[in-house]
Amino acid sequence: MNETVTRLKLSFFLGLRSLRRGNIGSLVMTVVIIGMVFTNMIFLPSVITGAINLFVDQTIEYSSGNVLIEPKEDAEVIEDLEDLLARVNRAPGVLRAAPHNNIGGVMKFKGSRLAGSVIAVRPRDEALVTGVSKMIRDGQYLGEGDTGVIIIGNYVAGHKDKSEDLMPSLGGVRTGDSIDVEYTNGVTRTYRVKGIFETKSYMADQVAFITWEELESIKGQQVDQATEVLIKTVPGEDEEEVKLALIGMGIQEQIKTWHDLLGKAFAEVVQSYGVINSISTIVSIVIAIVVIFIVIMIKTLNNRRQIGILKAIGIHRTTITFSYVFQVIILAVMGIIFGLFILFALDRYFSIFPIVFPDGDIRPAFTLADIVTNAVLLFIASAIAGFIPAWQIAREEILTAMRG
Amino acid sequence: MIRVFGLEKIYHLGVVKVPALQGVSFEIHRGDFLGLMGPSGSGKSTMLHLLGLLDYPTAGTIEIDGIDVSDLDDDERTDYRLRKMGYIFQDYALVAELTVLENVMLTALAQGKTDAECRVASTNVLSIVGLSNRLDHLPKELSGGEQQRVAIARSMVNRPIILFADEPCANLDTANSRAVLDQFHTINEELGQTIVMVSHEEWHKEYFHRIIYLKDGQIEADERRQHHRKDDEDRS
Repeated sequence: MNETVTRLKLSFFLGLRSLRRGNIGSLVMTVVIIGMVFTNMIFLPSVITGAINLFVDQTIEYSSGNVLIEPKEDAEVIEDLEDLLARVNRAPGVLRAAPHNNIGGVMKFKGSRLAGSVIAVRPRDEALVTGVSKMIRDGQYLGEGDTGVIIIGNYVAGHKDKSEDLMPSLGGVRTGDSIDVEYTNGVTRTYRVKGIFETKSYMADQVAFITWEELESIKGQQVDQATEVLIKTVPGEDEEEVKLALIGMGIQEQIKTWHDLLGKAFAEVVQSYGVINSISTIVSIVIAIVVIFIVIMIKTLNNRRQIGILKAIGIHRTTITFSYVFQVIILAVMGIIFGLFILFALDRYFSIFPIVFPDGDIRPAFTLADIVTNAVLLFIASAIAGFIPAWQIAREEILTAMRG
Repeated sequence: MIRVFGLEKIYHLGVVKVPALQGVSFEIHRGDFLGLMGPSGSGKSTMLHLLGLLDYPTAGTIEIDGIDVSDLDDDERTDYRLRKMGYIFQDYALVAELTVLENVMLTALAQGKTDAECRVASTNVLSIVGLSNRLDHLPKELSGGEQQRVAIARSMVNRPIILFADEPCANLDTANSRAVLDQFHTINEELGQTIVMVSHEEWHKEYFHRIIYLKDGQIEADERRQHHRKDDEDRS
């Protein structure tokens, strides 16, 4: 034990001095490479995680809320809406509930026809639950009690040149234009487009919104039904607990958290991204191992004679091997610290200037756990990559090594 | 104290066997300053390597203080070299990244001595070789003679029972060679240090107590010198 400690202390003594008084250029280059490898290990997965986070955020913010109430399994609509809303809004952890009534229809504009979702909302409730009201690209959001007006998603409005559209559209509708909507009950209405919203969410930007009063005017009666009720929970509240509270209140409809909604398919997508992340991590680690292996191999080959002499004067081969392992460990620590600086600089940069994708602005996301996991992986890989060439040279015959 | 019996070393160059030592036997006594001399290829460096446990003999035994060191395994040989032997090579063989003091401390640290103990022992031995004012210098900042004196200090810091020097003056001019040999002479005389040195310089003979001449892997002559340098000095 004591001998092991003595050998490790001497290894550290030799390793540290070799780094301090060795070739500065080689040291800087190795640290930079390890730093870049570490950055690569975390950055690409963080972009993918950022894309997943964006999708989740968009789903919660524009499509489902934190918790969603859907009709009972054998029903098409939620009945006794007012009673349900009164109960839900009293439930612990609920900030506000917003009903949706999706009546669907065919929208027409200058010869373009587009079948899609036309959803009746209560603008004030909707503004408290979803972020659509804040994403008006042009014009205005719906006012409480508005009739004869509609707001449409960016993809519904589209472009005059349809080749610019990612999906079917009305071909370049602007605020103030009139569009016709042919509902499934045979009613046709002409609406002035009050506003166009752009959330960048594929799901949200494909719909149009009218007010609940407009819906009742189309139906010719009061509507106490909804196709879904979106619930925004108090920030920090666990959605699962809110769901359980609602079930506990005797609500019979299907209650789903956003996590339930995204469900298995989403989990599979995340898993697929996980595979990509793992491949990226493995490639980065292989690069790190190869670079460190080559650096230490060159170093040990250059020091071959010196290693032979150290053995000759009675320095144990373990001490010699670990003097290189310590060098690699120090290089890895320095590289990881350098990589952290790069990562935090990138994080700051992309929080101000996010990566712009058609479906939203992606901010790379990484956690302390990501940093620690990758640092440990790189650390272990570096130690192994340093150990092997040093161990090979240190076990050579003394006279063979001394010949250089 | 050192008994060499029937020592053989055969090198294999492909299928060709090259005998470097052919059944050599002799003894070395404590306090000897032994010179191994002979022409190139005579086996003197091979002999030094075998005595210094840097290589394995093909046959024969080496006994040091009653222990057959031929039987030691690799780890035991390393430990034996560290604790009982000192080495000086012709190209000084210092660690380039260590200062003079650190180079000398190295083998003391490897023995598990404290930093303070190593520092004191190293500083003392460096003052003996006249390098007290060079403790923090790197080897590249020293002359060849100074570097070799550092190597002597390193070999002496653990007070080995035997010191091996493999042509230590081969890279030095006459003045520096003489300084190094004077150093050997001092530690041999004053500390009773046993020294085995390989040399092919005729004028080095004046420092040796005894010279073993090797030729074609065999002892050609074993000459104990009656009038070595110290005796001459005393006489003068």
